[in-house]
Amino acid sequence: MPKRKVAALEKVDADLVSLQYKIRRDPKSYAQEFYDQWLAYDAQRQIFISSPSSASSEDNKKFHDLVDLIAHCADLYPDVTAPYYDQLKELLTQHHAVLNPDLREKVVGSLSLLRRKDVIDSTSLLTTLFPILISTPSKSLRSLLYTKIISDLRESNSKATNHKLNRTIQTVLHNLVTSDRTSTKGMWACRITRELWRRQIWTDARPCDVMKEACLSDNEKVVVGGVRFFLGGDKEREEMEDDSSDEEIDVKKVKHQGTINKKTKKRQRVMEKAMEKIKKQERKKHAPHPLNFSALHLIHDPQGFAEQLFQKHLQNTKCKFSLDNKLLVLQLVTRLVGLHKLTIISLYPWFTKYLTPKQPSVTSFLASLAQATHNHVPPDAIEPLVIKIANEFVSEASAAEVASAGINSIREVALRQPLCMSETLLQDLVMYQKSKDKGVVMAAKGGDMGLKSGEVKRLKFGEEQVESGIEGIELLEKYKEEQRLKKLAEKGEDADGDAKMEDEDEDGFNSDEWEVASNDSDSSTGWINVEHSDDEDEGPPAAKKQRRDSSAAPDLISDEAMAAAAEANRISKLAMTTILTPADLAKLAELRREAQLDKMTGNVSKRRQELINKHIEDGVTADDIELPAQIGKKSTKEERVAMAKDGKPGREEHKSTQAIRKSKKEAEGKSSTNKEKARKKNFLMTVGKAKAKHKRSLVDTKKRLTAHIARSKSGGRRRNGMN
Amino acid sequence: MGSSDKKKREKKKDFNKAKLKVGKAKAKAANFTDTSFKSKCWSSLISLLLIDTLANYIPAIVVNQHTLAALDGVDLVGLFKQHLNQAINSKSDKLRQEALVQLTKDLSSKPIFNPVGVPNLLTKLLPLITDSVANVRTNFLKLLRALPPSDVAPHVEKILMYIRGGMTHLSTDIRSDTLSVLEWLIEVCPDETVSCPGGWLKTLNSFSSMLGWNPSVASTLSVKGWTSATKTSLNKVSKKNGEAQAKQITILAKFLEAGFRPETPLPYDEQRYWDSIYRMPTIPNPFAYLNLWGAQRDEDGEMYPDRISRVQVFERKWRAAIKTGVMGAKQEGGVIGRAASVLDKVLRTSAAADGEGVRKMVVEEQETVEEVEEVEA
Repeated sequence: MPKRKVAALEKVDADLVSLQYKIRRDPKSYAQEFYDQWLAYDAQRQIFISSPSSASSEDNKKFHDLVDLIAHCADLYPDVTAPYYDQLKELLTQHHAVLNPDLREKVVGSLSLLRRKDVIDSTSLLTTLFPILISTPSKSLRSLLYTKIISDLRESNSKATNHKLNRTIQTVLHNLVTSDRTSTKGMWACRITRELWRRQIWTDARPCDVMKEACLSDNEKVVVGGVRFFLGGDKEREEMEDDSSDEEIDVKKVKHQGTINKKTKKRQRVMEKAMEKIKKQERKKHAPHPLNFSALHLIHDPQGFAEQLFQKHLQNTKCKFSLDNKLLVLQLVTRLVGLHKLTIISLYPWFTKYLTPKQPSVTSFLASLAQATHNHVPPDAIEPLVIKIANEFVSEASAAEVASAGINSIREVALRQPLCMSETLLQDLVMYQKSKDKGVVMAAKGGDMGLKSGEVKRLKFGEEQVESGIEGIELLEKYKEEQRLKKLAEKGEDADGDAKMEDEDEDGFNSDEWEVASNDSDSSTGWINVEHSDDEDEGPPAAKKQRRDSSAAPDLISDEAMAAAAEANRISKLAMTTILTPADLAKLAELRREAQLDKMTGNVSKRRQELINKHIEDGVTADDIELPAQIGKKSTKEERVAMAKDGKPGREEHKSTQAIRKSKKEAEGKSSTNKEKARKKNFLMTVGKAKAKHKRSLVDTKKRLTAHIARSKSGGRRRNGMN
Repeated sequence: MGSSDKKKREKKKDFNKAKLKVGKAKAKAANFTDTSFKSKCWSSLISLLLIDTLANYIPAIVVNQHTLAALDGVDLVGLFKQHLNQAINSKSDKLRQEALVQLTKDLSSKPIFNPVGVPNLLTKLLPLITDSVANVRTNFLKLLRALPPSDVAPHVEKILMYIRGGMTHLSTDIRSDTLSVLEWLIEVCPDETVSCPGGWLKTLNSFSSMLGWNPSVASTLSVKGWTSATKTSLNKVSKKNGEAQAKQITILAKFLEAGFRPETPLPYDEQRYWDSIYRMPTIPNPFAYLNLWGAQRDEDGEMYPDRISRVQVFERKWRAAIKTGVMGAKQEGGVIGRAASVLDKVLRTSAAADGEGVRKMVVEEQETVEEVEEVEA
């Protein structure tokens, strides 16, 4: 039988893709065709529903194509396609387990397409997808749904925060976590919340509440998910922010390329895009920083939360979490205790069991103990722990690492609650400065100083140091004094006596100022205690002066305290008596910055700088405790090799540095030099010239040479029409 | 020279000594005969003799090619299944077609040879309604015709689904071939066709969409002004399309006739009465009209099991649309016009059978007459 000739139009019409194209171009004229396909879709759907599990591949494919067509045209015929969303939803929720993977993907894609075309709203899409995400056993479907959910949430929050939707979803997640505490379904709540937190789409207290509930779940996985969020979620968020601002475009380069390259429409578009991006980045730079609180700060009722966490997962002997996970929970609990200055008395006795050198990952326990200590913890509660650490860890017989970890942890604890140390113990520890091991010495040196100064001890339990006045006001005052003196000196000899007096005054002020400053830094954080002890190290001249003063005028000593009080009064008076002008404030800021810089650049070790930079909110980690032990250690060869290789270009094969550089240059698309070009030139091209050179007459040669000399004198370039 | 070399080599080959290798079986000789098989069946000669003798004793035994083949040791069931698979899965249309022919042969043999059963057969083969090759479709229809009507009846709903899918297919050929399937179905089991869930309204939907008589599309279009929507490519009026449309109208008439056919009350039978109360029902899904387990049905997907309900819903939803369509088709004349007048007759008889419908009919008749007069004027 001969092949039937098909009319051109019919032929083209026979596939759905071109029909879709036509429908979208002219929906009115193709309404009939669309309706036909709608009926076909309906029939195919019923075929599928009549036997979902045993649908043939042919039927599946047909259905797949029709679903696709309808989804793309659904916005054009809202009347006809009104039941479409419900049908897809029903199909997916009822048969997602037996659906063919391709078809399933298409249905999910069509649903999100409907969302993008605004046929349905986000809430209905998410409430459709979410229950399936939780219940489906298929991994591929889960990952698909997860990405769709996240992208839809991002999309609907992109222009302005969609509070209503966020609240709905957060409620759903909250219910998911709280409804069945033993199931792993809460993992999805954790994952979604964490992802949206990382992208700064959710930044308020509600997601924290979801995570809080996750932490209190019975399922180990869910608990770990929640705990990890609180311990690392904020850092992740910051990193994400840094990453996004990383891709910077070199404006100069882009402009330069624009002048050189051929001007095509595509290039222009690329350039416009780049400029747009730059503008966006600029705008972002100048935009006020979003006030994002860390998750730990947004927790509602931290005391209750910490107590519950501790009782449920740590104190409870029936809890069978692995040690690692328990440690994570412990970290969170202690971090909360330290940060919010909570009181959980039963936490400290609980530690006793774990503070032995044989305990696996004991440094984490030590770090957690340090974290859990603050000035409101009764010293009685910690003292036995400190003594136990001293007994178990710190002895001549124990290994250097153990001793240094012990001393270091005692130091960290004592920094936060100095009252927990007794005189004898302190003296004992100080003796370790003479140990042979470098790590132990470092730990001991760090430990005693803050305590030796004695000043810290003056505070009684429960006493708070209240910060008063304006930070750095004394710097401004000093500066003003200096300025006044300068002026006086310029004025003449008249004020000589005055000046002397001022000088004395200033001396006294200086020494006092040091004290006040130290007080100031003390009060703000436990961390800066270290820094303060540092000040003492740096400031022997001031201390000496003080001592000298006292020896020279013994009657002054008793008055010293009074003088300090008077000084404090005087300083506060400056702020009270005069009005600080904007210029003053600017100067104050500058002085403060200088003082900070001095602290940083002065004779300060790397470790100290790190400590200064470290924020109070970053808790103590096991690494901090182990650090001193690393100091004396020799690195292995592998480590040294790795260190040497770090930051150098990769060398897969044996190659010269030049060759590597060259290939890198080529990879970057940079051009070659004239010299390189000359070197690479085809030999046959140069051979003629070389031969001709041999045949030149003497006169010719001379002419060339003289021309060469003349040329080099006039800049070394051949001009037009000259040799 | 070359040929002599070749000849030499070939000659030499016969005298080459076969190399023996460790761990490998010895090469078989050229004249080796495999005698290791065991016969599980009788050879045909013996079987023929045997059947002859058996037939003498047991006259009821039916001998046909299948029993013979079975006795020969051919795996008939396997063969049938292979044909079935070929009919669905084979890429080549020739193979599909031949497989269908084979299946038809098996099904039309006496007694019917169908090892997989009608339900399975239908589930597997029904997607062929919309096969892209015309020959396959016609052969499939032949196969359907070979099926016993009583076995088809329980699966009418499913067949109708595929028919509806085919009726709105993009290709006109497939549409018209699907109509032939529907025609067959109406012939075989008319009552089930119009009374199964979705069988009445949904099929009417598809018909009207096919013929372009659809009121719901017009409403979505919301065309204002005096012109109607231009008929697009698929409904072009050409000679071929005209025939197709005539066929569509004819089959629509058959369909409606089946739907409007007056039910003859069964004579009272005491046994049947008591059976219906106390015996297990003999038909599958006897309470289908209650729809106890299926998904909720909408108006279109509902069952219209009796004539009255069918007529009512037809009056409400379709009569006006089809009426106008018929008027248009009649005016076209020719094949279409003739088909339309048949359809018109069906509509009239249905209305005549219904008291209320008659009155309506009269009113409409007057209107149409007036319209015609207007057109003529």
